[in-house]
Amino acid sequence: MKRALPGVLAGAVTLALPAFLDDSALAVYIFLGLAAMVTVGVSLLMGYAGQVSLGQGAFYAVGAYTAGLLTVQGGPPLAGLLAAPVAAAAFALVVGVPLLRLRGHHLAFATLATQLILLSLAGQLEFTGGDIGLQGIPQFSAGSFEVGGAAGYAYLTWAGLALVMLVTRNVIASRAGRGLRALATSETAAASSGVPVGRYKLAVFSLSAAFAGLAGGIYAFYVGYVAPGSFPVLLSVEYIVMAVVGGLGTVWGAVAGAAVITLLVQVLNVVGTLPGMPSYAPGVLSYAVYALVLIVVVLFLPRGLVPSVAGRLPARRGRSRPRAARPDPDLRT
Amino acid sequence: MLRIDGVSRSFGGVYAVRDVSLGVAEGEAHGVIGPNGAGKSTLFNLITGHLAAERGTISFDGVRVDRMPPHRRAALGVSIVFQGARVFHGMTVRENVMVGAHSRTRAGFAAAALRLPRHRREEREIAERADRELARVGLTEWAGHPAGSLPFGRQRAMQLARALCAGPRLLLLDEPASGLRAGEREALAVLVEELRATGLTIMLIEHDVAFVARLVDRVTVLDLGRIIAQGTPERIRSEPAVVSAYLGEST
Ligand SMILES: Nc1ncnc2c1ncn2[C@@H]1O[C@H](COP(=O)(O)OP(=O)(O)O)[C@@H](O)[C@H]1O
Ligand SMILES: [Mg+2]
Repeated sequence: MKRALPGVLAGAVTLALPAFLDDSALAVYIFLGLAAMVTVGVSLLMGYAGQVSLGQGAFYAVGAYTAGLLTVQGGPPLAGLLAAPVAAAAFALVVGVPLLRLRGHHLAFATLATQLILLSLAGQLEFTGGDIGLQGIPQFSAGSFEVGGAAGYAYLTWAGLALVMLVTRNVIASRAGRGLRALATSETAAASSGVPVGRYKLAVFSLSAAFAGLAGGIYAFYVGYVAPGSFPVLLSVEYIVMAVVGGLGTVWGAVAGAAVITLLVQVLNVVGTLPGMPSYAPGVLSYAVYALVLIVVVLFLPRGLVPSVAGRLPARRGRSRPRAARPDPDLRT
Repeated sequence: MLRIDGVSRSFGGVYAVRDVSLGVAEGEAHGVIGPNGAGKSTLFNLITGHLAAERGTISFDGVRVDRMPPHRRAALGVSIVFQGARVFHGMTVRENVMVGAHSRTRAGFAAAALRLPRHRREEREIAERADRELARVGLTEWAGHPAGSLPFGRQRAMQLARALCAGPRLLLLDEPASGLRAGEREALAVLVEELRATGLTIMLIEHDVAFVARLVDRVTVLDLGRIIAQGTPERIRSEPAVVSAYLGEST
């Protein structure tokens, strides 16, 4: 019961908050939740399974475009939302077969390239609306229930996040999760224990893509349009920064990291647009903050916010829970 | 049970294992000795599938396995304890051992995500099994500790428990006693004897000839990737080729 307490508390605050927020604050709240959803996937992929992706923005985009394409012509929004994670996972499965043969920074660059290719394709192709993108995506609705205001999207987003967190937690603590954590340290030793390493890497890559796709789907309905410009490469970098800041390989760390970075960027935007600030101030400040936060965390809290704080609480010490793997290079093939 | 026929493997044009043929019968304990770099670990890697043979065939229980990926050979019952510590970091000792049961269990991502009853039952079974193997190697009180925090000797014991958790039919031990203290070596020897008594087929790489001689039925001696002698421990010790290539050098 004690273990569930932080979760219950977080749930209560999550449910209560939208009632107190105005529309612009709700927008931040929604984007925070969407970022957290993607970041939980990044944490699962990088922190537990030891695979790098600088292309989560691509899966976010696939989800958003899927939801948009299915609904601008009058398709049911529920189908669009359900198809978003499925399409993103399927896309990850297809690109993952060649990409996951790569490791470390090779894999990072290849996933980054995937996003660049995808964006330029979306900008060229007719059915995705080219550079202008898809306009007039309807509000989300399921049956007779329609999500109108921002508060509705806030609930949808945080319900999605809760689902993503639950799935991640369940997977990590399972046979499949142990297989993932094992292959993060030694693919050789994992394989000789019977873990199908290639298939597992593909599965976790697709699962993290599904999380990003779901977030992208909700994003499309909330914002109402999608265009290549909505998914800059910086987005993918941002997810990694969030995951690292919060603590790789912790589910709550991903949420904490997303919250810290999103709120910080907001504050800096406010500061950057104060009267008397030069016009480039907001841009410079937000880039500077990623760099600065990342450096500070890596230097002073190398395990990230959540593990560092949790480690200081005496009650939590000694309790073993699934943690991030520390990959060490295989000495032999 | 295991049949290796004319197997070769080279690295950069130099043979690590050259035209090796050997058979291991069910229930046999088979020692593999030879000087450093003789190709012993490479031979094990060829059996487990971490290295592909360039020539020759390997069959296990009459099934050709030389083109199978390692995880499928593991599923057939081939388990290995690698040379050196191979610890899965960020996991407890018990979880490390539970990974060993991977090939004898089924629940996948979907069953885990949905917490299906079948999955829970299986998790319980795996944990119980892991605890049994941990008890067998004397690590019960370490079960909840982070695996990375174990002293070296205990990490080796944990790996053995992991291999046993798979319920192997063929157990490969690559220098399991190296780096162990005298007491730990003795405990290991007793355990290997116990496993042998249960009828498990074992292959054992070891430097210490006296240690091997006590534990195995037959010995294969490798030098520069080739088999230079094969037979009972007693015969091997008096073989002139072995004495000059190996025993003479190491003492
Ligand atoms: N992955 C590898 N890449 C290149 N050379 C290797 C590799 N594995 C083993 N070798 C070489 O093969 C030979 C046999 O090595 P090994 O099988 O580890 O010997 P042993 O276990 O008998 O000490 C050595 O010369 C070693 O350098
Ligand atoms: Mg060796």
